[in-house]
Amino acid sequence: MNMEQAFQTFLAESSELLQDMEDKLLGFDSCDDCAESVNSIFRAVHTIKGSAGLFGLDEIVAFTHVVESVLDDVRSGSFVLDEQLINLLLQCKDYIGKMVDSIDGEAVLMAPEDLTVQAVLEQALGVYLNTEHSTAATALVGIDDADTYQSVSVIESDSAMANENWHISVYFGTDVLRNGMDPLSFIRYLATLGSIVHIETVTDALPGIEDMDAESCYLGYEINFHSSASKSQIEEVFEFVREDCQLKILPPYAKVSEFIDVIDTIQNDELRLGEILVRCGTLTQRELDNLLEMQHAVKEGGTHRLIGEIVVEDGLASSEVVTAALHKQAQGKKAKEKQAQTVRVDAEKLDHLINLIGELVIAGAGVESEAHLTGIGNLMESAQTMTRLVEEVRESALNLRMVQIGETFNRFFRVVRDVSKELGKDIDLHIDGADTELDKTVIEKISDPLMHLVRNSIDHGIESPALRAQRNKPATGNVKLNAYHESGTIVIEVSDDGGGLNREKILQKAIANGLVSAEAELSVQDINKLIFEAGFSTAEAISNISGRGVGMDVVRRNIEALRGTVEIDSEYTVGTTIRIRLPLTLAIIDGFMMKVGDAFYVVPLDIVEECIELNTNHNVGHDGRSYINLRGEVLPFIRLGDYFSKTGGSAKRENIVVIKYGSLKAGFVVDELMGEFQTVIKPLGPLFERVPGISGSTILGSGEVALILDASSLIHLVMQRDGKAISAAAKQSALH
Amino acid sequence: MTNLVKAEPASVKHALVKQKVREEESQYLTFLLDKEMFAIGILSIKEIIEYGQVTTVPMMPNFVRGVINLRGQVVPVIDLQARFGRPSSVVGKRSCVVIIEIQLSAEQEQHVIGVIVDSVSEVLAIPPAQIERAPQFGAKIRPDFISGMGKVDDKFVIILNVDKVLSVDELSALTERVDEERHD
Repeated sequence: MNMEQAFQTFLAESSELLQDMEDKLLGFDSCDDCAESVNSIFRAVHTIKGSAGLFGLDEIVAFTHVVESVLDDVRSGSFVLDEQLINLLLQCKDYIGKMVDSIDGEAVLMAPEDLTVQAVLEQALGVYLNTEHSTAATALVGIDDADTYQSVSVIESDSAMANENWHISVYFGTDVLRNGMDPLSFIRYLATLGSIVHIETVTDALPGIEDMDAESCYLGYEINFHSSASKSQIEEVFEFVREDCQLKILPPYAKVSEFIDVIDTIQNDELRLGEILVRCGTLTQRELDNLLEMQHAVKEGGTHRLIGEIVVEDGLASSEVVTAALHKQAQGKKAKEKQAQTVRVDAEKLDHLINLIGELVIAGAGVESEAHLTGIGNLMESAQTMTRLVEEVRESALNLRMVQIGETFNRFFRVVRDVSKELGKDIDLHIDGADTELDKTVIEKISDPLMHLVRNSIDHGIESPALRAQRNKPATGNVKLNAYHESGTIVIEVSDDGGGLNREKILQKAIANGLVSAEAELSVQDINKLIFEAGFSTAEAISNISGRGVGMDVVRRNIEALRGTVEIDSEYTVGTTIRIRLPLTLAIIDGFMMKVGDAFYVVPLDIVEECIELNTNHNVGHDGRSYINLRGEVLPFIRLGDYFSKTGGSAKRENIVVIKYGSLKAGFVVDELMGEFQTVIKPLGPLFERVPGISGSTILGSGEVALILDASSLIHLVMQRDGKAISAAAKQSALH
Repeated sequence: MTNLVKAEPASVKHALVKQKVREEESQYLTFLLDKEMFAIGILSIKEIIEYGQVTTVPMMPNFVRGVINLRGQVVPVIDLQARFGRPSSVVGKRSCVVIIEIQLSAEQEQHVIGVIVDSVSEVLAIPPAQIERAPQFGAKIRPDFISGMGKVDDKFVIILNVDKVLSVDELSALTERVDEERHD
């Protein structure tokens, strides 16, 4: 295995696990299966510890070990996961994340101030560990009584019994060393989970000295292992070599004399519970481990596990019965969590695929037009079928980029929790439409603006508990995130039942700041939008959460960069809803194509109002006057051909495309109208970054490149130029 | 497991790779621009395609011919002659677009740019010993565009410094100036 790849996997996995840990910690108050939550928190920490151990990141191993120990005690019921501990664990999670981020080569480089944080955290965790020691002692006393009979209760109660040892038999594959794995590190790491009571090296596979390959591994180990770890944990130790070794882990609770017999029989007929299940194809190994893990935690589950395993060990029950039982549980579990099966794919690969499909569409269009030229019926039909299929492939490829917004939303639980605590407010976060899908790039870019909006809602929106009481509102404030699709766009709402916008105050402040003139008459929407102006803030005091008047400006700009819009609905003392409207994807727009000379241009379809013929009635020539009478309205227009210095192609009938963008309305005079066109936007690259009036390009079916016009900047440019020309002319005439 | 990795004779391998790079570095693609021969190091060249279907981008200086569709990627095309301050290339039967990859710095991503040449000649190996320094003047091209003068059959071939000739920063700054000039 390539270590660099493995390391990347470790980084990606760690951040996922930490996120999962945070989700579980935050949701702990309202979980239906608390034991499972604790288990998955434990698993997260444990897996990070294990992986870090493999990479020799001792600092992470050391810290996670402490966290893990505390969690293990929670799991065994030594104490409950209370509010205080959840907070502490959240901090630990942040710290582990920080450690993983600061991995530099083979070591973790932490700043000195972070190390103090670590010391504080470890001390806080230590408090829990110390109390545990006394309970462990009492647990030991309890076991003495239970020792006499091999009952279910023994197994549940504790792991400290001397004869409760695991037996692990591991035979490494011959290629283990070549794959960059050292069997010793796994055994060394195994020792961190418990203590190796006895280890026997099996050298039967060693060939004679002349046949021996120094780079091959011929060794196997039989290990008598004492640990409170679960089976899945022990198995995780060998995760990196799982494909490369024969691993058998036998659970404890067999009498020592029987134990060895059991190993033999199991090794001979290869009958392990997991294997039966995997063979039946009903469960994967991992699901099975999760189930075992879950059962172990749930009290009644303990018996299940025992029965399940002992039954198979003794070879008594038919495998179908066990399988069926586990299968049923697995289904119930699935239905509950609705965990989607996912495959992690490199985003680059996906982009490459989409590019290729774009080319395929173009090539397919070429084939179809060629086929039409031949006039052969069958060929045309086949070409058409192919084109249709290619279109479908393109649709589904674009769908691959679509991601549910839920994950982004869930991150805000933590934000709301932390910020509201800091401000002494009691706030609940509600989430709706978490399964709404939108383009991955959009999701990435929207999470920052959302963060600003949510913080704003908490800080400025929700009133202090005293004020809420005065206004007859429940003490707990509500912030709601909602997402839904609406006519080809996605709408994301951030709403709160807080104080709402005080429009009078905003207007006063805006006038004082000189943002608007005192006489200006503004609509409600316009006043609301003032909060998005740069440097605008009505907050008297700047807190470290918000109030500097920078955030909202950034929000607006980020959203505009995504070709989105923002609306605000707000009622004073009742609440505010901020509605962000975004295009579903950044990659494709509905365009309107037109031709000037021999070049094609595209404008977004939704800004096109209408198209009219520029006929002699409009009575315009090239005499410099460039406006027409559009049903009594004055419509200025731009001759794109003149503007872009396009020569030739003087069409007999020119057309005007009427564009409306915000308050701007103008006409573009073009030679030919080509109609609607599904436009895949391609960036033009850094060379053309500063070209005004052009926002991108697209590739036509013929393989030609067409430019996408940025109508508003084009119009602004013409306005500026005209203004300059007029003032220059005025100067000239003044001189004469 | 780290000791195993260390055991590999990394230094030997490294030296081999280096040697190979040097060999490739001394290979150049030669081409003609108005009967004059130029060369570009082969490592920066991605491919050579026939000239065709160039979409002009408005309001660009004359050395930017426009953009082409290179298998789904939109690539700008530069007229080298115009870039050197000479009259624009006339597109003929043998005109080609040489697609070049340039990397400005380690952090920045690669840019792909096409240049128009009158015709492509051949790939030549010019050993470093056969490369003279660029003349201070007389080549009628900005000295910093030339990375060296290669001696081939007693004639000189101008080896271009692609990073300078196609510097994206400089090109886009120039496009901006053109725009200002137009509107002033």
